[in-house]
Order: sequence, then C-alpha cells, then structure tokens
Amino acid sequence: MTAPTLLIRDLRLSFKGYSGLVEVLHGISLHIDKGERVALVGESGSGKSVTARIILGLLQSMRTARISGALNFEGRDLEAMGRGERHRLRGTKMSMIFQDPTSSLNPVYRISEQFHEVLKRMVPGIGRAEADRKAAAMLADVSITEPERVLASYPFQLSGGMNQRVMIAMALANEPSLLIADEPGTALDVTVQAQTLKLMRDLVTRHNTAVLFISHNLGVVREFADRVYVIYKGRIVEHGKATQLFDNPRHPYTRALMNAIPRITGEGIPEIQDNSDEYLAPLVVHEGCGEPGGVA
Amino acid sequence: MKRTLAILASNPLSAVGVLLIALVVLLAVFADFIAPFPEHRGAVVDFVNFNKPPQWPYIFGTDLVGRDMFSRIIYAYRISLILGVVVLAIAVPIGVTIGLVAGYVGGWTEYVLMRITDVFLSIPPLVLAMSMMGLLEPTLTNGMIAVTAMWWPWYTRLVYNLARSEKEEGYVLAAEVIGASKLHVMFREILPNCVPSILTKMTLDLGFVILIASSLSFLGLGVQPPTPDLGSMVAEGAKYLPDSWWLTVFPGLAILIAVFGFNLLGDALREILGVEQ
Repeated sequence: MTAPTLLIRDLRLSFKGYSGLVEVLHGISLHIDKGERVALVGESGSGKSVTARIILGLLQSMRTARISGALNFEGRDLEAMGRGERHRLRGTKMSMIFQDPTSSLNPVYRISEQFHEVLKRMVPGIGRAEADRKAAAMLADVSITEPERVLASYPFQLSGGMNQRVMIAMALANEPSLLIADEPGTALDVTVQAQTLKLMRDLVTRHNTAVLFISHNLGVVREFADRVYVIYKGRIVEHGKATQLFDNPRHPYTRALMNAIPRITGEGIPEIQDNSDEYLAPLVVHEGCGEPGGVA
Repeated sequence: MKRTLAILASNPLSAVGVLLIALVVLLAVFADFIAPFPEHRGAVVDFVNFNKPPQWPYIFGTDLVGRDMFSRIIYAYRISLILGVVVLAIAVPIGVTIGLVAGYVGGWTEYVLMRITDVFLSIPPLVLAMSMMGLLEPTLTNGMIAVTAMWWPWYTRLVYNLARSEKEEGYVLAAEVIGASKLHVMFREILPNCVPSILTKMTLDLGFVILIASSLSFLGLGVQPPTPDLGSMVAEGAKYLPDSWWLTVFPGLAILIAVFGFNLLGDALREILGVEQ
C-alpha cells in the first residue's frame, strides 16, 4: 500500500501565554489517502483551523506555539524537511481555500495577475500570455462561461460565487495532491455554496486530489466527504465513514452536534447542552476505519 | 475620470484647491518666463527703486535693495516646491518601509521600530528641525535633511496602522499559504492597498513641509540670502511693519496660498480615492 497523502500522528499544540502553557490540541491522529475526501468537523474553537495551519507550516513560525507529533506528507516527514523544501510544497503540492473568497483575493490586482502569481509558483518563468491561456482553461473547468471577462476583472467586480470559483480554480491550478478547504463558502448563500461544492467535488474527483474539508456544517460534510473525523476541544471524538457516522452516530458529542441542526420543519431551535461530561467520552472508531499502523 | 470631475464639481472648495496649486506650480515651473525681473532672484542692487510700494512695473513693490518682490516670490515658490518634493521623496519611502516591516513582521521588530518612531514623534517637529539646523550649516540641503528627519515617522505610523489591519485580510493569508515571501506580501500585497492613504497624506503634507521650511528660514535657519525664500522674506520685512507692509504681506500670502491649496487638494484627493479619515 502506498503511503497516505497526509498522516498526522499524536499532534499536540500548545500556546505559551502569561499563565503558562495552554494546550489546544491534545494529540490528534488522522490520515488522508490519495484522492480521498476527509472532513474534520467540530464547533468553533475546537482546533480545526489550527490543524490546517500546522499542516501548511504556518503556525510553526509563531514563537509562542509549541508543536509536537508526527506529520507525514506522501510518506515524508514534514518536520524533518528544511524550511526551503517545505516552502516549495506550499502552493504546488498543497493548497488551500478559505471561508470568504472575496477577501481572499487582493482587491488591487486583476484576476489574471493573481492567477499569474499562482502559476509562477510551479513554473517560475511562465509568461503572461501563457498564464492567461492556462487560467482561461481552468476557469472554464469551474463552469465560468466568459473566462476572458473574469480574468480582466477585479475581485470586487465579481460576485461571491464567481470569486469562490476563481479561488477553486486557483487552488487546483498547480495540480496539488492535497487541498485544504477551510469552511469554504461559509460566507456565501446556501444555493451558491451548494453549486460551488458540487463543482469542487467533481474537480477533485477528476484530478484525484486528496481533500481535507474543514467545516461545522454537517449537511455539507455528509454530501462531500468519504470519511469524517469529529473534533471536540482538541480531541478527535469519533471517526468513521460518512455513511456509518451519519447513520449511527455513537459518540455523545456527535449526537449532540447532529441534534443541534435546526429542522426546516420548524420544531424550534433545538435545546442542547453547552457542556457535558459525556462529550469527553473516549474516541469512537467505526469498523474498518483504524489509523494506518494500528494506532487508533 | 468622470467621477473625479463630478466630485470636483460638487465640491467647489476642491476645485479651488486644484486651481490654486495649478497656479503655484505653473508660476514655479515657468518662473523664468513669468518673472518680470528674473535677475532679481540673486544679489542685485537697485537703490533708485528701493522700498517702493506696489506700482507698475513692480506689482508687489520692491524690497530694501530695490528688487522686485513679485519676481522673488515666484522664485521662492520654485525653491519651496523643490524642497517639498525632495523631502517627501526621501521621507516617504523610508517611513513607508519601516511602517510596513513593523506592521507585518510584528514581535520584537515591531516593538523596537515603533518605539524609535515614537521617540521622533514625541519631539515637537519644529524643535527637532531647529536643533538639527543649529548643529548643521544652514543651507538648502541641510534644511531638507532636517525636515526629512522629522517627517518620516508620520508615514511609519500611518503605514504601520494600515499594515496591521491589512495583515488580517484574507488575501494576505492566501498569499502566505501559496508560499509568497515576506517581501512579496509586504510590497506586492499590502503596500498597493495603502497607496491611496499615502498619496492623500503626501498631498496634504506638501503644504506643511513648505510651511515648516518657511518657519525655519524665518528663524534664519534655512535657505540663506540672496536666494529668495518666503520665510526669510517675511522675517526681513517684519522689521519694517507697518510702513513697508508689502515686504511681509505678499510673501505671507504666498505661503498661505500654497499651504491652503495643498490642503484643499489633499481633501479632494481623499474624497476621490475614497480614503477614510
């Protein structure tokens, strides 16, 4: 079996504050196989986004952050890599999509210029005309009907949905093997979000890109992900295939999370406990979903 | 362009600013053609026509050695403008770079850079420039150095605050994620978003630089005679008030017009570029 695209083992993160160390992640293990779509679900502050930043190596430069644990990318130890080598992975083998597509694009540059910058990461000497041609093809891939017009526009001239598509096209432009999607489209309205997610799912399937999908939206996760990790207060509490987990949530916290979704049938806003000792119950792993190497 | 004209039309004061500055710049640039007595910018003596009130051909009168005030004011404008532009051309890049680094890099770098900036900001600008001029020889170049030394911290503070807020924008994180270098993020991502604010401040500042430079030469610490300078002209004439009023009033008005014009223009620019106050 080939090495998984991403393997995280016992990842711990703490921040040094005035009152000593504050532990944020208490030993997270997860893996993503090649071309697999894996979701990391949890409430705000549970540690989803910091996990993504650690994978990209953005948190390591923070002086107050203390990180331990193993991080493997395509079988290579990320922490053992030099800074330069690790830096080369970003934007080429790994890329990321953010919550708010419009603010993720610099308002002072046209889309074509920003695309050019992205493509330069892979082919440093790429010319403007060549980049524009490639960009147009990629925009066509995300169902943008007039790529030339979009390329000549500034981000604020495009709708949120358009910008989201542009972001997806940019993120996939260099054919990364891992795409991290941090609550993509949360800032968009529901119909646009659904369209762009479908687009993204089709594209990553076609390119065989592994995706780490970070979200708090269970409905979206169910449609998008093959496998799901539920995270609560810096610990993984449940892990299973999407179907297993949604049909039979076993961890008390997962059940609470699912009950928290307001029903469209109008039964009012559900009552759930903010905090419960039950939520701290040990990790539940569904059948056939162990971590590679035998560690749960 | 259409929007620019519309804003100018809806705000008559902005239009006045544009006109005043256009007048000042045209006078300074074409001084050699406009000045009735171009040679009067230097050490010329004409005791037949000394200390004359405004009359033809001396529309602003003549000074104590018989030089035409109007010609001298035009040439003084040229020197003031050159001084203002040079000071900003040096102070702005320095201030902006330090502000960007402090705002983006953060940590100890930020602390050290901003505290140094605060030290400069804590000394009243004119006092700082005066003490520098006291140490240096009073020449135009040294005047520029003194004014530059007191001017850059304002840009550092402005850009530092802008960079701090731009840093939190999504596109900065997005650039970092795809592996952009710190230099790229600072100068290619953050800086272009600060340009409108910097430009507006520069326009407003041109007026103040001229005012400070005039203040310095009023105190005898700036441009030295016989080179015409608005500040020293006012200082010179002040001794003969109120009898020879034209010796002070016209150079004083000239300073007023330039400073007022640049202020109005700066306000207009702020509106056109949509910069928040």
